[in-house]
Amino acid sequence: MIQLVHVTKQYDRRPALCDVTLEIPKGEFVLLMGPSGAGKSTLLRMLIGAERPDAGQVFVNGKNVTTLKGSEIPYHRRKVGTVFQDFRLLEKKSVFDNVALPLLVQGISRTDIKRKVTEALRAVGVEHKRDQLPMSLSTGEQQRVCIARAIVNGPVVLLADEPTGNLDPALTGEIIDLFKLINARGTTVVVATHDPSVMTQVNRRVVTLVRGSLMPEQRVGV
Amino acid sequence: MRTLSYLLREAWANIWTNRTTTVVAIFTTAFTLACVGVFLLLYVNLRAAAGWLQDDIKVMVYLSEGIAGSTVSDIEQQLRADRAVGALHFISKEQALGEFRAQFPSDSHLLEGLGQNPLPASFVVTLAPAFRSPDAVRRWAERVAAVAGVAKVDYNQDWLDALSTVIRSIEVVAIGIGLILSAAAVTIIANTIRLTLFARRDEIAILRLIGATKTFIRIPYLLEGAVLGALGSTCSLLMLKALYELFRQQMRTTGRLRGLEQLTVFFPLSICLVLVAIGIILGCAGSFLSLRRFDEAKV
Repeated sequence: MIQLVHVTKQYDRRPALCDVTLEIPKGEFVLLMGPSGAGKSTLLRMLIGAERPDAGQVFVNGKNVTTLKGSEIPYHRRKVGTVFQDFRLLEKKSVFDNVALPLLVQGISRTDIKRKVTEALRAVGVEHKRDQLPMSLSTGEQQRVCIARAIVNGPVVLLADEPTGNLDPALTGEIIDLFKLINARGTTVVVATHDPSVMTQVNRRVVTLVRGSLMPEQRVGV
Repeated sequence: MRTLSYLLREAWANIWTNRTTTVVAIFTTAFTLACVGVFLLLYVNLRAAAGWLQDDIKVMVYLSEGIAGSTVSDIEQQLRADRAVGALHFISKEQALGEFRAQFPSDSHLLEGLGQNPLPASFVVTLAPAFRSPDAVRRWAERVAAVAGVAKVDYNQDWLDALSTVIRSIEVVAIGIGLILSAAAVTIIANTIRLTLFARRDEIAILRLIGATKTFIRIPYLLEGAVLGALGSTCSLLMLKALYELFRQQMRTTGRLRGLEQLTVFFPLSICLVLVAIGIILGCAGSFLSLRRFDEAKV
């Protein structure tokens, strides 16, 4: 599903990723660990075509993201859901409209949008907040809306960049459970975090990046 | 349909969010385009005036002294058959003398000393509208001057050339000023759109991440530019119409340039629509410039 082959990236001669080779099979749940500045976000941004490696190849869902043309990238991103630490919700639009956005940009019909958005909101447990504005929600609810927006398209891969960075431990557990549920339905999930407490809540594969290099892998569980 | 309504709502939201900037941009664009319009209006009026003046141009075909009556008939037939000739009027030597005396009564004694009537017979020719340009008149005059029995073909070439030069100069100035001020209008609109883009950069970043195409992201901003251009050009036309009416009223009340009042024209509806369309194109061009810079900057 995801494959990085000898990927290297530098910013102003500072290495962000050093010869990273990684394979994540379809349906796997992977924790991408590492301190701030380890290269986690760079790796995730490469998977959605927002960054191009200086060397190496990046494959997602059978496509070489490295060689995608600018005009092909939006279509690639429609198959990859993305969750952010700062939620990135549109403040002036309702929860429903925020979640509907990925469907709207594809020209999906009104009936299908209504059905899919309702399903996604129900899946993350904020269906009753559909008409509210994001700022009126708690941070946990905002993150759930962000996840609903990421899964509303039925993506093959879900990427989450520090999704629990703004949440307390109890909410962190709820969000991780949500990711596990999404993964159980067959979606490949990659969660990048620097928070070691997340590791204790996930009994899955852990990939660690330190200063752009991959460390030996481990499996951690409670 | 839902996508279209979303894009229209977004365009309106852009305009509403930056309403002060938008209003300023519309009026600045309107003033800029009104300056272009003044030259255009001047040009249109001069063209119209040139048309009326050209209607008045008469070409005199003077006949040689002592030619036979049959030759005069031949020349008349030849002229009548010419598609460049709109109207024809014969003036005999006697009629020419009579007209001279009527027009210059105090100078008529000058001719009496000559003994015989020195004025030639002539045809007064009004050319058909398609043959009234300076070049066409010149070519026709040269051709007719070569006809046997024609002594001279005369018309006010200097006046015709001067008029045509003035119109061409106004045309060049109008195009030059039009281009410069159009570029200014594009820049004004581009800056307004740039402000909107900057205000909504986070939203654009989100749209990019969720798979929106460039076209989808650009359409609301292109619509905004089109609305700015359309409103700017409409306002400029209203300003020009007000100025035009004020000018006509001034002419009426002061009595200066009496008669010209009926000759001045405003843009016909078709030209007004073309000017609004040009405003829309300039607005879209301004948006497009900003969007390209925004894409390159990847804010």
